[in-house]
Amino acid sequence: MTRVVVVGNGMVGSRFASDLVARCGTAAGPSAVEVTVLGAEEYEPYNRVLLSEVVAGKVDVAAIGLPGADDTRVTVRRGTEAIAIDRSARRVVTGEGAHPYDVVVLATGAAARVPDLPGLTDLPGGLPRGAHALRTLDDAREIVAASVNARHAVVVGAGVLGIEVACGLARRGVAVSLVHGGASVMDRQLDRVAGGVVARSLAGLGVRTWTGARTERIVVESGSVRGVTLRVPDGGAPAGPSARPGGGAAGAGDDATRLVDLEADLLVLACGTVPEAGLARAAGLAVDRGVVVGHDLASTDDARVFAIGDCAQPPEGGTGLIAQGWDQSRRLAEHLAERFAAAADGRGARRPGAAQGAAPGRPRVRLGVDADRPSMALRLAMNVVARPAVPADPGVGARATAGTDVVRVKAAGLEIVTMGVCGERRAPDPAHRSVTLSDPASGRHVEVVVADGLLVGATCVGAPDVGADLTATYTRRVPVPADPAHLLLRPVAQAPAPASSPTHMPDRTTVCTCNGVTKGDVVGCWHDGARSVDDVARATRATTGCGGCKEVVCGLVDWLAKADPDQARVALGA
Amino acid sequence: MATATTTAAPGRSEAPGAAPARTHCPYCALQCGMSLAPRDDASALPVEVSPRDFPTNRGGLCQKGWTSATVLRATDRITTPLLRGADGELHPASWDAALDVVASGIARVRSEHGRDAVAVFGGGGLTNEKAYALGKFARTVLRTANIDYNGRFCMASAAAGANRAFGADRGLPFPLADLGGADAVLLLGSNLAETMPPSVQHLAGVRSRGGLVVVDPRRSATAALTGDPEDQGEGLHLQPVPGTDLVVLLALLHVVVVEGLVDEAYVAARTTGFDDVRRSVMAWWPERAETVCGVPAERLRHVARLLAAASPSRGGGGAYLLTGRGVEQSTQGTATVTATVNLALALGLPGRVGSGYGAITGQGNGQGGREHGQKADQLPGYRRIDDPAARAHVAAVWGVDPETIPGPGMPAVTLLRSLAAPASPDGTGGGPRALLVHGSNVVVSAPNADRVVDGLRALDLLVVCDLVPSETALLADVVLPVTQWAEEEGTMTSLEGRVIRRRRALDPPGEARSELWILAELARRLGSDVAFPTDPAVVFDELARASAGGVADYSGLSHARLDADEDDGGPGLFWPVPAGAPDAGQAGAPHPGTPRMFLDRFATPDGRARMVAVDHVGPSDDVRPDAPLYLVTGRVLQHYQSGAQTRRVPELDRLVPAPFVELHPVLGLRLGVGDGDRARLTTRRGEIEAVARWTDRIRPDTVFIPFHWSGEGSVNRVTTDATDPVSGMPEFKVCAVDVRRAAGTQEVVA
Repeated sequence: MTRVVVVGNGMVGSRFASDLVARCGTAAGPSAVEVTVLGAEEYEPYNRVLLSEVVAGKVDVAAIGLPGADDTRVTVRRGTEAIAIDRSARRVVTGEGAHPYDVVVLATGAAARVPDLPGLTDLPGGLPRGAHALRTLDDAREIVAASVNARHAVVVGAGVLGIEVACGLARRGVAVSLVHGGASVMDRQLDRVAGGVVARSLAGLGVRTWTGARTERIVVESGSVRGVTLRVPDGGAPAGPSARPGGGAAGAGDDATRLVDLEADLLVLACGTVPEAGLARAAGLAVDRGVVVGHDLASTDDARVFAIGDCAQPPEGGTGLIAQGWDQSRRLAEHLAERFAAAADGRGARRPGAAQGAAPGRPRVRLGVDADRPSMALRLAMNVVARPAVPADPGVGARATAGTDVVRVKAAGLEIVTMGVCGERRAPDPAHRSVTLSDPASGRHVEVVVADGLLVGATCVGAPDVGADLTATYTRRVPVPADPAHLLLRPVAQAPAPASSPTHMPDRTTVCTCNGVTKGDVVGCWHDGARSVDDVARATRATTGCGGCKEVVCGLVDWLAKADPDQARVALGA
Repeated sequence: MATATTTAAPGRSEAPGAAPARTHCPYCALQCGMSLAPRDDASALPVEVSPRDFPTNRGGLCQKGWTSATVLRATDRITTPLLRGADGELHPASWDAALDVVASGIARVRSEHGRDAVAVFGGGGLTNEKAYALGKFARTVLRTANIDYNGRFCMASAAAGANRAFGADRGLPFPLADLGGADAVLLLGSNLAETMPPSVQHLAGVRSRGGLVVVDPRRSATAALTGDPEDQGEGLHLQPVPGTDLVVLLALLHVVVVEGLVDEAYVAARTTGFDDVRRSVMAWWPERAETVCGVPAERLRHVARLLAAASPSRGGGGAYLLTGRGVEQSTQGTATVTATVNLALALGLPGRVGSGYGAITGQGNGQGGREHGQKADQLPGYRRIDDPAARAHVAAVWGVDPETIPGPGMPAVTLLRSLAAPASPDGTGGGPRALLVHGSNVVVSAPNADRVVDGLRALDLLVVCDLVPSETALLADVVLPVTQWAEEEGTMTSLEGRVIRRRRALDPPGEARSELWILAELARRLGSDVAFPTDPAVVFDELARASAGGVADYSGLSHARLDADEDDGGPGLFWPVPAGAPDAGQAGAPHPGTPRMFLDRFATPDGRARMVAVDHVGPSDDVRPDAPLYLVTGRVLQHYQSGAQTRRVPELDRLVPAPFVELHPVLGLRLGVGDGDRARLTTRRGEIEAVARWTDRIRPDTVFIPFHWSGEGSVNRVTTDATDPVSGMPEFKVCAVDVRRAAGTQEVVA
């Protein structure tokens, strides 16, 4: 029996519990596991990724609950906050007691980063009224409630979340200003040109965008947000509709900048996240930005402590994307399940052929799939590309899966997807070949980056079909076309234009698919005396299948009658 | 109305010039109505085919149907039993000699290796009577657990999904014609415009209302029915990455849930398990689904809204969700069917007139073939073989002790994979040493077929009943010539669950005999005292008794009733048709059959449909650096299944004489495989070659090959035999492949 304590009952922690029990075959015996999940929140796990959709009013807040681990081997303690990890005694301490562990998995996630701004963080008792981060279900509820009466909203931070929230609030009819410190929006994923295209689209959706703008302070009156003061580049004007700086003291700044006051009764902070790594730090484990873990997701200080999801800092870096957390969950579950089984077998090695086993005469067993209660272990995309980014060392759990860095913005009216090599801050690489299609007037910008015949990065704005194809190509490592420019457009479906007249229809054109009848066959039977659709049907069986070609055959018969009036007259007995 | 043959006794046929036989096409499950008029002209075909007005085909026939009589005079038709001689060749033999060899071979294998060492492989083209007799023969004479059939290749996942959800599996639990009134039809992995062309008539209404949605990695003939890709006039075509249909479905249900489009009243009253399912789809928001399945998020939303708007709870004219082999022949086929059912249930479609979920059965008697006991886990009447009450009921009909009926056997792929497999040192676990094949050409139709051939060659005894020397028959020790469609009486059950009559129009050639006679003779030779009647009408009556009280209850039917019904203009009856009156009020009136199932309750113990959460795992053999493309397979209009029949029809063979590989020009240019070049395709199983055809109707990451041929272009030699964990159905429809120009072809200049 192995005791596993999971700290965190969010999207990754709850998933991990399901993933693990789905892979640990039997409920009893030496390889059995007992999993305890500690969740600080009282809520059941929910889909945090959809919170911006809740704000946008596209998703009902009651609908976003995620499946919990439905298994007797898993105990979930909601509303139970872990206070400490006592590594020497191997137990996790909570307010109610202690949970002994053989393995502890940290999935504590991240908190919204709240910038230290005058007006924002200097009130006792937290943020002023009207100011919200968007990280939890409660945050989303409060923003939705506030949006009912809000007239002016300011969203600070034009990353993915900021853009989604800004569009969501605009959709609710609130005037939205989106403020971003970087030179262009979503600059982690988009270069300046692509960002400009997105800013134009945002304007069309009713969002004013301020880039290169530093938030100086939050104007608070009687404990409520009333406005935001920005420092913007001189001459900087917002992109967006009815761009009118709020009536404040403009031009009071230093040389190249000026101050702008924006009215605001709703302020949403989308300034990134901070990994929740306090427990690990207090337990003496290495913590940098997050809990420092190796490719095997174990703490570099303690092989019994693992960290996954937003609280972790793996060698390739944390992306803050759920795809990465779910991929880590799956990999860690596979790794631990094999380890537990091997320990139970008294062997140190992996079980051979666990996944591929297909011994003659035995039904092939697939891990993690049960007939009547299929595992909730949802493998992301990328399980489709479940091959390591770097060749896996034997004995170490598979490394991070390639393709989990696809960023797809969810905002009605915006179609943005990026992956791999992209954005303003990418390092130049001579091995990369980049091809771009830029069409800002129609809101479209597509860039593909190719190396060694594979797509290693892409930026796609305003071209949803192309974006979907690029993602499939990228995540599955499908070799790219001989000319990568073919990736920039959907290969055109060349539906043969309907011939303007039967004269121009080639003889070998199939008229009746069901019976393989060509135009040539119809003409042939006319020459043999067929004079009506019924005659043609008798001679060729055209029209006698689904009947869909009746119109075309009629047309051909009419055309033949006109082209060959003498014959037609003879047929009619004229 | 002319009176046709009713219960013609075996061995006697209509005199020339008799009334045409009212029967049905020999091929697919649409079972188009046709008449066969005997002809005297010795030089021509023996019967003249003409279409009949029948609800599925409405007087239409495709090219296969029109030319079906040609197979009756196939030049290589087997007309005598054949025995493999000492010279290794097949030689004509007498029935006595052949049956003696079979019986003694079975007896020898059985005594040396046990009863389960004799296995039976059936087919979805056999009549109900033959399928029933075959299952009975396996369980009472051979007493082997190992009987399964090629329906495992086509309908097992749909069956497993429907049984799990509804407690019953009738492919379409409603008449096909009901589709005509719907506002939306979602077709997943079905190319019915090629596989059953006359059925397209039933989509005219929904196309005119812009509600046809086809999910297929190819722009197939069916996908093209959705109209011009630009104007999306008659519907929509979603073109997902192969193996990701399940993701499309999970995302559709996600949208239905989060946008409040669920039929809450229906879900509350008629289903269980929705909460689990609702939570499970929360992980599949459209943008995430897009990154996996390659279908743009907004298009997924659009389709979900279109389906919801068509649903009865939102005042629509009805919606149907239909699955075909494209999504079912997958290691997650049952899950995909279940996800489709979940979506249908959330929208409140099943068990409502004018809406529903259905699976489009493929083989001629693919429906009946899965009901009467040739499935490894099943007894007649769609009963479970591990259900003691079912065993007792059927044993009583058969006149045997229930204890003597074996338990569940191996499903088809496992069975074929284990042929002649050596026993482990303790003497257990050996594979079958003798195999009887009926109505199936596994050398062409089984996945990873080269391995199947190895197994067939290693057997002590292979007996194949066939019309023609199919690739499988050519490997046999004994080939027994059997009757075909126009030469026999019986019943079939169409894709709608309609029980219909197959009628005899002419005598079988030479010494060809019905399987019913062959099984009776073998039973006698093997010393069984279980009765094996040879008159199909009598067999049907026994089948009806055996099915009484089962899910697929035929007990109110007989050949005579079906004939009388048809004489009155009735086009067959839908099961269940229990014996006796439907209620006391109509004393004497027989049960009218059940055109629409589940209107009041589902066939589950509590009457509610089961919703089961499922999830995407992906293909078993996914793309990898040395096989970076997807290989998908399918059919062409001109051929049927393994092609054993249609390749023998010159008109069909001329149009599509050989396999071909479809690929996108962008891919062709990259690979240097030009239009018309020979391409070599390599998978983990092996390699094949076929001529390349460039088309922009396929994704550039996917190639397609039809599967009707043997030889170097036989695609099932390289498809994977990995199976669905629930249904045992193999993953024909997707595997990873490497494609190159075959040696010896000119390089294309890009």
